[in-house]
Amino acid sequence: MSELSITQTKINYNAVWALAKRELLGFWRTKSRVISSIAQGILFLFVFAGGFSSLSITIDGVPVDSKAFTASGIAAIVILFTGIFGGMSIFRDKMFGFMKELLVAPVSRRTLMFGRTLGISLQTLIQVLIMIGLSITFGYYGYDINLIWRVMLVLPVALLASMGIVGVGLTISTRLNDMQSFGLIQTFIVMPMFWLSGALFAFNSVPLPMQVIMMCNPFTYSVDLFRLMLLGVSYFPFWLDLIVMVVFGAILILIGARSFNKMEVS
Amino acid sequence: MTEIKSNSENIVEVKDLVKIYKDGNVKAIDKISFTVKKGEIFALLGPNGAGKTTTLSVLATLLNATKGATFVNGYNVAKDPDKVRKSIGFVFQEPSVDGEMKGWENLELHAVLYGMPKKERQVKIQEVLKIVDLEDRANTYVKNYSGGMKRRLEIARGLIHEPKVLFLDEPTLGLDPQTRRKIWEKIKELNKGDLNMTILITTHYMDEADELADRICIMDHGKIIVMDTSENLKKQLSGDVIDIQFENVDDQFKFPMIIKQIKEISGVKNISFGTAGSEQEIIPKIQLPPGMPATVTPEIIQARMREILSDPKKLLMAWKKMPMAANMFFSAPLIAKKRIADMFNDKLLEEVPENIKQELIKIKKGEYPEEEVDIEPSLSISCKNGGKQLPLIIQKINENNLIIKSVNMHQPTLEDVFLHYVGSAIREESSNHTKDTKKMIQMRQLRKR
Repeated sequence: MSELSITQTKINYNAVWALAKRELLGFWRTKSRVISSIAQGILFLFVFAGGFSSLSITIDGVPVDSKAFTASGIAAIVILFTGIFGGMSIFRDKMFGFMKELLVAPVSRRTLMFGRTLGISLQTLIQVLIMIGLSITFGYYGYDINLIWRVMLVLPVALLASMGIVGVGLTISTRLNDMQSFGLIQTFIVMPMFWLSGALFAFNSVPLPMQVIMMCNPFTYSVDLFRLMLLGVSYFPFWLDLIVMVVFGAILILIGARSFNKMEVS
Repeated sequence: MTEIKSNSENIVEVKDLVKIYKDGNVKAIDKISFTVKKGEIFALLGPNGAGKTTTLSVLATLLNATKGATFVNGYNVAKDPDKVRKSIGFVFQEPSVDGEMKGWENLELHAVLYGMPKKERQVKIQEVLKIVDLEDRANTYVKNYSGGMKRRLEIARGLIHEPKVLFLDEPTLGLDPQTRRKIWEKIKELNKGDLNMTILITTHYMDEADELADRICIMDHGKIIVMDTSENLKKQLSGDVIDIQFENVDDQFKFPMIIKQIKEISGVKNISFGTAGSEQEIIPKIQLPPGMPATVTPEIIQARMREILSDPKKLLMAWKKMPMAANMFFSAPLIAKKRIADMFNDKLLEEVPENIKQELIKIKKGEYPEEEVDIEPSLSISCKNGGKQLPLIIQKINENNLIIKSVNMHQPTLEDVFLHYVGSAIREESSNHTKDTKKMIQMRQLRKR
């Protein structure tokens, strides 16, 4: 019932910020989430970056340090995990009834959605920064003063990428009605997007059929652009990455907004 | 739809409201009309699944009406949802505060959503916290609040933006008696004090409606059955009410005959027949293990169990988390197990823990012999002068060789009124309880969608 959304579609920016702040505060206060995200990062770095260190990776004829390659991929993956599971916070609100309080408030759904998306995206940025910071500390990128502006360039990419991913999270969580389906989403959405994104292994080192599948995964392009910013190398041209990201991001966030608008809670 | 102008005397107006859930083709509200005057406490009273929450949800712009016109504070709910939202405060049936935030933060977020400037927010939050006596707990995380405190916080939250009408959906569900009293006091203060707030309350507790409401509207199956002041409702049952409980009876077919005979006694006005304690059969008497804190009373646990038993999803959670709940299921009487089995369809059954699932499947297949189900029938008879009619009634019963367990005569209470209207209606339409339960669960699920 889409007519339910309030006729007034103005965005109340105070409310947006208050909602985003709630998301961030929630992340900061659940220390287990902070700790587990850092610990998971370290684990991934050691296992993957360490394990793949002997592989030689060449992109466009340029040899790339395998440690830097994997570390940048892992940092990009953080966007995926935080975005989707952040979008799931809607599900938590639905379960614990808080969603009703939000829906009955005199603000447009757009405001609610914008606030949440912003909150989760900012939270994603923080986590990406933590991840990159850790990798730099452990020397995965070498020590180079250029890294500072490279990281700066990564941030807008991460923000853009996380918007689309949050869209996926919103779509799922507004339609989800029970806890048990979580595993399903993990298996059929998060994991394929994760493994088939080229974050952990070189795109040109896998057989052709798999390359085709990977090219169908929109997140592949986000990872690629992310890596271009951080390492200066990419498989696909810059413009292709950007177009795919913007188009898919827009589509996903629109689908998310649609399901959010349709949501009825009582 | 013709344009209907709202009357300024009435702060809430409902005209021929119909709500049909399309997915399940369930008629949750069947053409109801009522008005609430300014400064009134108005109670919607009815059993679970009567359509009370749906009515409130429509008024609060959470659900669309299928047909009919609704006005709140002079605004058309369908056309001006924004203005309606600003005019109302809503305290939901299920808790809706964010446990991960502090009390103050919950209120603050609410105030921002309702567009209050910062200075006003601080003052107002302080004020509402004082009303509900939570000033000293404002900086505690809500997850550490007790059930009553959460409820009070929700009421406080509903008050921040100074609504014209406050909607309270089962405000004391699952709370212990002392906390209920406290919340009642608060509700009365809001209504009678300076705020002079109009309050719309839904409840299935008779005493609550009796205690609080200026006018009571009894609903069942989505229809209004009767609407009047508590006094007038009770007056309709003037005289005395005699409740007679019988020992376990094998031949229930005797009852229609007895009822007919008793009805012939002059002075007897109405009889309703019931099988007493159907709920008590499911919910066992609870013996608290020693060492429990004093705040945990058997009543609280029973209320909680009642809540869990009304929703298969909650029941699932309980089974998964507490071994005690699973044990309780196995030791429950067959009638209780059957009722639980009825709540689970094949899809839900998949999620049930294996050992319980086996048991439920066995019950569904009817592998257990129809035991002699312990039913203790009872009659509730309203009559002009109990003292005169009671001996005659007892005589009739004795003639039919039925054994009386207990007899109780009293002035009519709201409960009798309720039974008078709702009790008989339920039985006329469907003799088996499961049909009602199924509809209720179906409605609940549809609402959640």
